Amino acid sequence: MDQFSIIGKRIALVDSAGKTTGQGKYADDLSLSGMLIGKILHSPYPHAKIKKIDTSRAEALEGVVTIVTGPDAPNKYGILPVGHDETALAVEKVRYVGDNVACVVATSESVAEKALELIDVEYELLPAWFDPEDSMKAEKEWIHPQRPNNIEKDYHHVFGDPDKGFAEADLVVEHRYLAAEVTHAAMEPHSTLAAFDIDSQTGKPGRLTVWSSTQVPYYLQHKLSIVLEMPMAQIRVIKPLVGGGFGGKSEVIPLEIIAAVAARKAQAPVKITYTREEVFWAHRGRPRTIIDLKTGVKKDGLLTSVAARVVQDGGAYCSYGVVTILYSGALLGALYDIPHIRYDGYRVLTNKPACGAMRGHGTVNVRFAFESQLDEMAAKLGIDPAEIRRRNLLKPPCITVNNLRVQSYGLPECIEKVVERSQWKQRKGKLPRGRGLGIACSHYVSGAANSIIRSDMPHSTVNLKIDRDGGVVIYTGASDIGQGSDTMVAQIVAEVLGISLSRIKVVAADTDLTPIDIGSYSSRVTFMNGNASLRAAEDVKKKIVAAAAKKMSCAPEDVLMRDDMVWKRGTSQPHSNGRGAEKLLEKTDAPRGNVQEVSGRVEGQTLRGSLQQKRKEEGPKDSMSFEEAVVSAIDFSGSLTGTGSYAPPKEARGGAFKGAGVGPSPAYSYSAQVAEVSVDEDTGVVTVHKVWAAHDCGRALNPVSVEGQVIGSVWMGMGQALQEEMVWKDGLLMNPGLLEYRSPSSEESPEIEAIIVESVDPEGPFGAKEASEGSLAATIPAISNAIYDAVGIRLRESPFTPERVLAALRAKKNASKALEITRGSDPSAPTAFREHGGSTWFKDKGPQRHPEDPARRVTTAHTVGGDD
Amino acid sequence: MSLPSFKLLRPRSIEEAVGYLAKHAGTIQILAGGTDLIPSMKQRLFSPAYVMDIRGIEEMQGVHVVPGVGVEIGALTPLSAIEDSEFIRRNYRVLHDAAVTVASPILRNMGTVGGNICLDTRCLWYNQSLQWRRSCGFCIKKDGDLCHVAPGGTRCWAAFSGDTPPALLCLGADVEIVGPKGIRRLPLKNFYSGVGDAHLKLDPNEMLARVFLPESSSGWKGSYQKLRVRGSIDYPLAGVAVAFKKNGGPVEAARVAITAVNPAPLLVPGSDHALVGRQVVDEHVATVIGELAAKTGKPLTTSALTPEYRREMIRVFAKRAVLAAARS
Repeated sequence: MDQFSIIGKRIALVDSAGKTTGQGKYADDLSLSGMLIGKILHSPYPHAKIKKIDTSRAEALEGVVTIVTGPDAPNKYGILPVGHDETALAVEKVRYVGDNVACVVATSESVAEKALELIDVEYELLPAWFDPEDSMKAEKEWIHPQRPNNIEKDYHHVFGDPDKGFAEADLVVEHRYLAAEVTHAAMEPHSTLAAFDIDSQTGKPGRLTVWSSTQVPYYLQHKLSIVLEMPMAQIRVIKPLVGGGFGGKSEVIPLEIIAAVAARKAQAPVKITYTREEVFWAHRGRPRTIIDLKTGVKKDGLLTSVAARVVQDGGAYCSYGVVTILYSGALLGALYDIPHIRYDGYRVLTNKPACGAMRGHGTVNVRFAFESQLDEMAAKLGIDPAEIRRRNLLKPPCITVNNLRVQSYGLPECIEKVVERSQWKQRKGKLPRGRGLGIACSHYVSGAANSIIRSDMPHSTVNLKIDRDGGVVIYTGASDIGQGSDTMVAQIVAEVLGISLSRIKVVAADTDLTPIDIGSYSSRVTFMNGNASLRAAEDVKKKIVAAAAKKMSCAPEDVLMRDDMVWKRGTSQPHSNGRGAEKLLEKTDAPRGNVQEVSGRVEGQTLRGSLQQKRKEEGPKDSMSFEEAVVSAIDFSGSLTGTGSYAPPKEARGGAFKGAGVGPSPAYSYSAQVAEVSVDEDTGVVTVHKVWAAHDCGRALNPVSVEGQVIGSVWMGMGQALQEEMVWKDGLLMNPGLLEYRSPSSEESPEIEAIIVESVDPEGPFGAKEASEGSLAATIPAISNAIYDAVGIRLRESPFTPERVLAALRAKKNASKALEITRGSDPSAPTAFREHGGSTWFKDKGPQRHPEDPARRVTTAHTVGGDD
Repeated sequence: MSLPSFKLLRPRSIEEAVGYLAKHAGTIQILAGGTDLIPSMKQRLFSPAYVMDIRGIEEMQGVHVVPGVGVEIGALTPLSAIEDSEFIRRNYRVLHDAAVTVASPILRNMGTVGGNICLDTRCLWYNQSLQWRRSCGFCIKKDGDLCHVAPGGTRCWAAFSGDTPPALLCLGADVEIVGPKGIRRLPLKNFYSGVGDAHLKLDPNEMLARVFLPESSSGWKGSYQKLRVRGSIDYPLAGVAVAFKKNGGPVEAARVAITAVNPAPLLVPGSDHALVGRQVVDEHVATVIGELAAKTGKPLTTSALTPEYRREMIRVFAKRAVLAAARS
């Protein structure tokens, strides 16, 4: 028999049927009677003082109920305690094109849109900053007055003795790497529905309920409480189905607060759903990053020292910025054995939408730089790129030089697997010209050991309730955003209790019903909420076992539970109608397992009577059904509930220096990847043919889900590597839509061979670690290294667009045309950011506003092109 | 984003449609597949008082072979019908190849041949929401009077971005226009003005009804090569169509056309001379065609990828199209 009955089995996600048939409800699918629609007026200017807002013309429009502006809810909030710099709507000034100015609440979307045209706003323009290196030099007109020189935060960490390390090195290489800004592009745009109950005693708006597309219901409840000045107990946040988050919903997004403020003012339920353009303005994606990286190695490839200076173009608000810039430095460690590290990180404010957390938070761009540089050094030293990685492995259990504790470490096996499957040894360097293989590694946290809210409360708590019918209800705060956390908790509980999945109902992410969980971000849910679920199930199991032991006249430790049966150790496992947990799943028409066998009746009280009758007839027994055991336990204690919680252990929580809180995790996932690409030397087009991706997730609780996450990570990394890029012109996003943003389509998707490596973490639930993020970062350098193998060019700026590749190819051939294609910028040696962002597409083509251009007028009170 | 309000008209015949056009000229937009018009209306690029949905006009549907004359294609024929037509694939290869590359399968089910021919010109500074355009400053093509692509200029350079017109140009297609004065027929090459903000030579009370492919260009070898970032969905960033007649002997007739790099799809001057009479269509002649095509193209910052790169790709793709056509 397998060690486990349902852990490690390939099962469909428990919410998949609703999603695939269209029955599932997402936030925008919801409506309430009397519901109004909110539409937000956004700033047309990157940086301006608001002198006056006149809403009178808009209010006069039929169908407009109310208009909300900044002063209606001026309290500041932000996802980080150190970064409370946002307000629901702009109070004094706007800080990026797209910043939130006012919200119209109306009876329909079209009325609300018309009303937006009738709001007159008087702005006074301020100098704006679009480039982080310029922005850092600003002497006045700072984006936030409390942040001098527009620097949100800078950190300067020294671990070991980096200078000594470089002195010992035989080879030191230093380069500047650039990574363009990218965004999550989740399928579902943000949507929030907010409604107040009328208080029966006072007749005034009482409790608030918010349905929102969020990864973090608890934080949303908390921020709503701050802005609305309501006790948290009066606020209920419910997360419906979420169509992807990737970090874009891992903090409180303006519409979530605005909808609640609007609902209060309008005294009616208000729904706001972002357009795709608004999603791009809300953004919170991966910042444009400048990385100056210096690495030292010995002749044999052993790393001696690493120094990184990282500048992130954070946009106009803090968001997760302080955490992002810390992750960029902290996760230089915990992958390889690096004795000395110097890190200088700058998170800089600019007049663009805020950047925040995105899959692989903070680690991806630095990993691209590091793995590319390592590849370059291997080539210089004549060492095989896979081999140089092997030589620098950690020797866990260990604590890294920057205080990260590493226990389970599947990286060696990951490397071994991808090398073997890709036939690396036979094929590397031997493919025909234009085709190549590249290798890279990455890692990620399984949740942060220190929560961002700096509280000692458990990071996750899970409650269980079992009633006489043998049905198990799990109450978990874990937010399923498509990653499968509902399925994960169901599997863990089913395994512990030895029951089939069909008995389990998951109630998740509803702050009235479910205990606090700090949210679905930093890949923490399986590890932390999984551990809490495990403990809750063990708690309740203890009670069942005690009652069953009594009934079977044996010691509790001799009670075994599996396949919906409970039996005494030493006797053979009773027959449960030949159905294992998996088989029962397939038979959906028998949702309550073998209840029928017990009594022929399923109602609680009847069941109890018939069971007692049965027991009298049979006397002590060696086995019983799960229901019987449950009924015994309830008869014994009056109710059957369990609870479990998880807080990371002290030893995993890192050092004591400033900024040490970010990076430590109870466990790290590991990934190694080999990419096979071809480069068309006439066009510069890079095609990824196949990616072998091995991921150490500790233990795969549901392999099909792990593979899906790995494939998704590789695909998303490939998008960043080859084509995705947010292109800016004077703070204006040139591609605020999915047509021009161009995430890869299925046409570009290569074959991805996901290989699961199980290192079985000592602290993870059943040994599990994260699976959703760690694989992304390796894809980008694996592709750039493969491009080098194919055609011999080093690309240090992502994405590797055809014109950059072609320019580099021509530069290599010393062709005079080399520089023309990307206009004076040689991508093989970039030294500075190009004007206005990652691309030169729009260089010198700025909006020189015509004197008569309506947008030039300070008040924007025009209905344009509207004869409707 | 909501649609602006409008009155919907649903004519059942060409006559009825022409009547509506005459009555509401200037305030009416024609909807065929709607794949371009609907998003553009949401962006307030068009806010017509009337939208005329012509999909109910039977006589503008389908591919009809007229023996001895050629092929008549109704303007409402979906692009997927061209894609699926074995007759077109066999006899007018270049058109088939071009139709297959348009957008994605779902959009080809809705998008029509007529819509692709009349497709509005595109520009990164134009195909944006009202809010975006207000932030940026309105341009010549819509609501403003300056150009972001060629600052200081007064001419609109929005690029014609249809895939099938260059193929149709190669095949010497004619278009049939209906209007209050009846029916007029003109070569497709005379249908485009070359000006980005008024790209069709079509009066506000006129409508494209049919396309004719002459029998004389049946059986020509052909290929369409399209530059795009993604293998699906994307509009062309540059496109080259090549077709020539060659039956064992020398090339008897040839045309090359480009798209997405000018405000109109254009025949490449001199390409026929370069190809006609060639016994073998080889790398050398392909390179010559590449040079000619690159000279004809005038890519600007109307779309993604730099103009310089796109010009370079016109050269590469023209060369590849010639060689692919030779193999077809």
